[in-house]
Amino acid sequence: MSLKLEEKAISSKQQFEPLIVAFCCNWCSYAGADLAGTSRLNYPANIKIIKVPCSCRVSPNFVLRAFQRGADGVIIAGCHPGDCHYSTGNYFTRRRFTLFANLLEYVGIEREKFKIEWISAAEGNKFATVMNEMLDSINKLGPSRKLRDGRWIRQQ
Amino acid sequence: MDKTTVRMQQIALQTLANGEVDVILGWKKGDEWYDSYPVVINDINETAELIWDAFCVNNLSKYLITELKKNLRIGVFLKGCDSLAFNQLVIDNRIDSERVVIFGLPCPGMIDPQKVKHAGLNKGLLKVERTGDKIVFITKEGVKEYIGRSFDYDKCLNCRCPNPVVSKYMLSDAVTRTDEEQYFPDVTEIEKMPLEARYDYWTKQFSKCIKCYACRNICPLCSCETCVFDNIAAGVSSKADADCEQQFFHIIRAYHVAGRCVDCGECSRVCPVGIPLEKLNRKIIKDINQLYGDYTADTDIAKSPPLGTYKVDDFDPFDGSKQGGKK
Ligand code: SF4
Ligand code: SF4
Repeated sequence: MSLKLEEKAISSKQQFEPLIVAFCCNWCSYAGADLAGTSRLNYPANIKIIKVPCSCRVSPNFVLRAFQRGADGVIIAGCHPGDCHYSTGNYFTRRRFTLFANLLEYVGIEREKFKIEWISAAEGNKFATVMNEMLDSINKLGPSRKLRDGRWIRQQ
Repeated sequence: MDKTTVRMQQIALQTLANGEVDVILGWKKGDEWYDSYPVVINDINETAELIWDAFCVNNLSKYLITELKKNLRIGVFLKGCDSLAFNQLVIDNRIDSERVVIFGLPCPGMIDPQKVKHAGLNKGLLKVERTGDKIVFITKEGVKEYIGRSFDYDKCLNCRCPNPVVSKYMLSDAVTRTDEEQYFPDVTEIEKMPLEARYDYWTKQFSKCIKCYACRNICPLCSCETCVFDNIAAGVSSKADADCEQQFFHIIRAYHVAGRCVDCGECSRVCPVGIPLEKLNRKIIKDINQLYGDYTADTDIAKSPPLGTYKVDDFDPFDGSKQGGKK
């Protein structure tokens, strides 16, 4: 490796800027993110929010796809069980992703990289805390190529 | 001829002749000793070619999905594991059980041709006969007899359901298996490995995959009309051999049959490169059993599939403060 490349590698290691994809349900968590914003709470710019109608709309394919295309962490945020806008959606989310999270861990993916959180529209605070914590734990893990498409290059 | 084969041919002839069924799904013998292949017949003259031997490993229940579109009533031969898949297909609403007549085949276990070859017994081999645990190899030179299960498929050694759970006509006496089965030792073994070792183990296994999709095609329950892995536009399965795509495929394949997998072991049996796919399926089955009650996609078609239902107070790993449900 040439000196220049090495320098670049070191500096890019120092500036590891994780990308976190947050699937937020339209009714609770997205509104929670809104509230965090309007309350001027800080949450990191590394979080990219994708709005979904309900947390149970998220298929495991989406999660793996996000990891393939550059996410360092994926989080699904939905209403608290019992408060789903569609009554029961997040009960299904809970079962499906309990199994899915276990399966990911089973094939060797760190728990920290994939999370589910229940965040209501009134919990702007919780939204900010959860996202900050997530960023923290991903930072601690450091850069990793697990599940990443090796041919993928992040657009700056 | 084998007693059960005689009975099989009789019942096929009888039900076709009296119009109870329009076609029969069964097996015929190919040219080789290990070759028993699935057939659909509607001609009573062909019933004499039907066969039951230790190589009728193919599960016929998946064929019902397409055959029921063409035929009104179908007679089908099902082993124990096949009957579990049949039930699951009924639960999944893929087939109409009213139009199917099941001939049950208690199964002593199927023989793995690879194991016979490895034992060097395939030379000049003409025929293999099995009654219970007695296996007779008929060769050009003579006859060799073995007692035991050393030639059984691995999946058959772990069989939890040798007898059909549903049938109209049972073709032989129930098989009793007393050997204490160890159901999840392989899963627990992997769970105990450190995270990185697990990652390496699976990445290495997945990297062997040649994307032939035999595991998907053989699976009785992997029966979507269109599959995401056939959809080039989905961008998840290119021709290139990339770790991330292998991981994607394997995680999704296993997860897609979560709660429906009957652990018939067909996927790992057909995998040409020997990826232990059952260890992924069984991890999910183990978790479902632990978290949502004993569900091994199953004998009881009245039970709702574990991922198609929920309980308000389900275990909630995502919330430390309360274990699910409304406060
Ligand atoms: S996933 Fe494998 S073991 Fe499960 S039903 Fe399908 S073929 Fe059988
Ligand atoms: S049968 Fe084996 S090689 Fe073929 S797609 Fe399935 S896992 Fe891959």
